[in-house]
Amino acid sequence: MVLENFPTFSEWFLPGLVLFGGIVLAAILLGLFVGYVVASFRHGPFEAFYIVAQVVGESVPDFLGTSPRRVMAMARLAVKEALRRKVVIVAFVIFAILLLFGQWFMGGTENPEKRFMNTIMFGTQLLTLLTVMLISSFSLPEDIKNKTIYTIVTKPVRATEIILGRILGFGFLGTVLLALMGLISFFFVSRNLDHTHAVVGDTQTIASLTAIAPGTEISETTGKRVSPNAVMEGETNVELGHSHRLEVLEFTTDSDDDPNLKAPDIVSVEDVDGKKVFRRLVCLPVGGHTHQVTVSGTGNDAKISLGPAIGYFRARIPVYADSVTFLNRDGQQDEGTNVGKESSYRGFIDGGNARQRSSLARAIFSYSDFTPDRFQNADVIPLEMTLGVFRTYKGDMQKRVTGGLQFESVPDNPEVENRFVSEIVNFETNEYQLQIRPVSRKVIGKIVAPDGSFVAEGEYDLFDDFAANGKLNLSLSCRDVNQYLGVARADVYFRASDDVYWFNYLKGYVGIWCQMMIIIAMAVAFSTFLGTPIVMLGVLMMMVVGFFTPFIRGLTAADRDGGGPIESFIRIVTQKNMQVNLETGVATTLIKESDNFVSHRMGDLTYLAPNFKQLDFSSFLTYGYSIDNQRILVALAITLAFCIGLTLLGYFSLKTREIAK
Amino acid sequence: MATDTSSSETKTSKLEQTNPDYNPNIVIEAQNLTKIYRDFWGRQKVRALNALDLEVKKGEIFGLLGPNGSGKSTTIKLLLGLLFPTSGRAVVFGENATEVTKNERIGYLPEESYLYKFLTAEETLDFYGRLFDMPSEVRKERVQKLIQQVGLGHAKRRQLREYSKGMTRRIGLAQALINDPDLVLLDEPTSGLDPLGTREMKDMILKLRDEGKTVVMCSHLLGDVQDVCDRIAILYQGDLKELGRVDSLLQVSDETSIRAKNLPAAAQEEIREVIKKHGGDVIGVENPKSTLEELFLQIVRESEQRPGQRVSGSDS
Ligand SMILES: Nc1ncnc2c1ncn2[C@@H]1O[C@H](COP(=O)(O)OP(=O)(O)OP(=O)(O)O)[C@@H](O)[C@H]1O
Ligand SMILES: [Mg+2]
Repeated sequence: MVLENFPTFSEWFLPGLVLFGGIVLAAILLGLFVGYVVASFRHGPFEAFYIVAQVVGESVPDFLGTSPRRVMAMARLAVKEALRRKVVIVAFVIFAILLLFGQWFMGGTENPEKRFMNTIMFGTQLLTLLTVMLISSFSLPEDIKNKTIYTIVTKPVRATEIILGRILGFGFLGTVLLALMGLISFFFVSRNLDHTHAVVGDTQTIASLTAIAPGTEISETTGKRVSPNAVMEGETNVELGHSHRLEVLEFTTDSDDDPNLKAPDIVSVEDVDGKKVFRRLVCLPVGGHTHQVTVSGTGNDAKISLGPAIGYFRARIPVYADSVTFLNRDGQQDEGTNVGKESSYRGFIDGGNARQRSSLARAIFSYSDFTPDRFQNADVIPLEMTLGVFRTYKGDMQKRVTGGLQFESVPDNPEVENRFVSEIVNFETNEYQLQIRPVSRKVIGKIVAPDGSFVAEGEYDLFDDFAANGKLNLSLSCRDVNQYLGVARADVYFRASDDVYWFNYLKGYVGIWCQMMIIIAMAVAFSTFLGTPIVMLGVLMMMVVGFFTPFIRGLTAADRDGGGPIESFIRIVTQKNMQVNLETGVATTLIKESDNFVSHRMGDLTYLAPNFKQLDFSSFLTYGYSIDNQRILVALAITLAFCIGLTLLGYFSLKTREIAK
Repeated sequence: MATDTSSSETKTSKLEQTNPDYNPNIVIEAQNLTKIYRDFWGRQKVRALNALDLEVKKGEIFGLLGPNGSGKSTTIKLLLGLLFPTSGRAVVFGENATEVTKNERIGYLPEESYLYKFLTAEETLDFYGRLFDMPSEVRKERVQKLIQQVGLGHAKRRQLREYSKGMTRRIGLAQALINDPDLVLLDEPTSGLDPLGTREMKDMILKLRDEGKTVVMCSHLLGDVQDVCDRIAILYQGDLKELGRVDSLLQVSDETSIRAKNLPAAAQEEIREVIKKHGGDVIGVENPKSTLEELFLQIVRESEQRPGQRVSGSDS
């Protein structure tokens, strides 16, 4: 999963508000204009002006006169009506079927939790959105057709109340539906993922493990990579499509009361040269989850038991850099080496070549608020990286590429203050493999004077010394000649302690809730002037546009191979290759210009539809990331904006409509 | 009776009158009210109402009469803002008919009862009650009272989908009265009611007037109209054909009827002599007035012969 750069709510809000205000203003002006044209068609231009002015004049008292009590009455009616339609029940039945049969397809992978989350979030989203679309696009047209609306609008009911009441009523119903589905899914997923393993072998004891000769990298018995300090290995049986590797690891400690000595998975403790040497039995994680190991007894007869799965339900909180800058080989700032199409997202760091081995190329991640409280004052902070690798020579594809990490302090006053610079720590990576590097708070490094001269060296504290002013730079370099490492801002992050899972889960559902509210508002607003089938068609179209916004915007971008709709049509008819240039001339210019125009207008249209992807947080849940509160705020603001805009649309269209026609 | 009201000067002068100093005794005012139904393309389909001028005064029962399709329902819908006039104005309580605030004081019974079939009688009235500014105790009390009043106490917990036509009509009336309106617009109130229900409906309309409320009803059941209405307007193909007090409209001016009690035969003979002496013809003592039915049929017949003849609403 790629987390894109994301503006904070406050950064987003003002431009967003301006955009929203602009759109609403444009919509109102357009609405008035269309209204005027229609009215002048019917009543002549002067009368029409009077009519439009009257509608506008009446709208203000209508907004002010909108009463919560009447809105609630309308909402209650909407709920009763929708329940009577039984669509909600049908949705539930489909959901139950989805869960029952989905179970068969969802296991059997290293990351069953991803597949479960994915399927369930998708199913919930689809069902909820379709259900609310159905109930809300039937309601108003049915009322108009049955003329029940006559008895409503002849009461002191404002058009706003008719619309808001429905949006709230269906919103309430949808919320209940969504909450129930969310709860059921949660229990369903946790029940299905809940499993434990037994150790392969006749006895569930240490005796079923085999010893590893010192220095082994690849185990001869299992063919798997062996941890450097492993002394014994074993395996569990297969459950839920996977098994775990068990290793007995050897550690040394100085202190007698090291908490590790009291862990439940201790196999043995020995005194060697006044130090404690202890062995622990660990269960290596598979796809992010592991099991608590408990060893009871001593020697070869010690019983091994594995607990329930832990780590499925994570809500990792990544702490991203505020910005990333790339330096080229010569240490000058640029955008990162371009290695082809991909580079629009990732910048590539040059590893140097044979002539210039010590490349200065690096990506510098700048943090401006790097404080210990963001990491719960932990001594070790996990740094997680997913890097792209671009090889200029292939050689051994399995051979990992080496990268280097270095911390630097960023003095507020670089002319007079000294700087802290850490040692470069090397690591190896394969392409797009999640690297988890524990970074200790205590960092070996040196102090450098403003003129670059050496001052001192030793062990310094990452927070208290390096980031004393909250600022820290992390530079990433490529240590292999002729290779490149690709990185974007979101690819490297420190991991703060996890968010509470159920809260994150709730936030994931808030995203679906936002989509649902927009669909309801859309269906209700459309149904003030369209019949049910057309409303559904319209909403479905908006959904498609909304879910594929980036794709459609990409389509409408002007500079594609083969040109826009007209040009491509001509190419098809004249059987021209996409790369061949058309003859220059008036005709070609005309074609290109009209293509440009059409494409831009189509691109503009996508801004009318909500970008549903921006409201879709299911991938956060699937991949176990915490959903940033900023995103939730932005999503809620977008939803509110759409609801307000659509309510206005519905209001004016209902107000100017002859109900009894 | 005045013939053609020609529009322009009277219209403007009336427009000026309306809102600034609105006369509380005039509840409804239609000024040159015209409705032309158009199709989707804006082409004219039906001229349902033609330059109607009308005033309804506070506290009276006003009847709109006319054959099917003459524009009665259209008039009521225009007065409620359910339709927008093609030209002219509909003013209710001194406000434009499209203004929602006037609805606080209005009750409307549509030609058919357009109610939510999935609600029970109680829920229906409770729902409509919530649309007004009334405290919940008042609402609950009114709901029960109205249910008793329209005689649906035995069926108040049943869904409206199970109701018969007359029962639906009754709950429709209760719905129209939920806010204790000052003006009640009834579109064919007695349709679908049994004789007893018709009687009750007429009594209720009279009672409403006694409470000082204004009632506008339309119907083609002339007996009903004659029984309850103070004033009537007769529409024919969208034109106003007759407007006035029921009693004076039905007064036959070239006839005189004399009623007396305990008159001996000699005296009767004497009176006949006197009438004869003055050149009169004795017709009889019965039928002192014509019936509304006669008037109605006569107007319809005349209108068919001489289309276009109209009355103005301002003179009565
Ligand atoms: N929505 C409409 N679209 C087109 N024409 C309409 C519409 N409603 C009514 N009309 C026409 O307007 C005319 C007047 O109709 P209206 O309903 O006012 O008659 P009415 O006097 O109430 O008749 P009835 O006694 O049958 O109820 C009729 O010719 C009718 O066909
Ligand atoms: Mg009618």
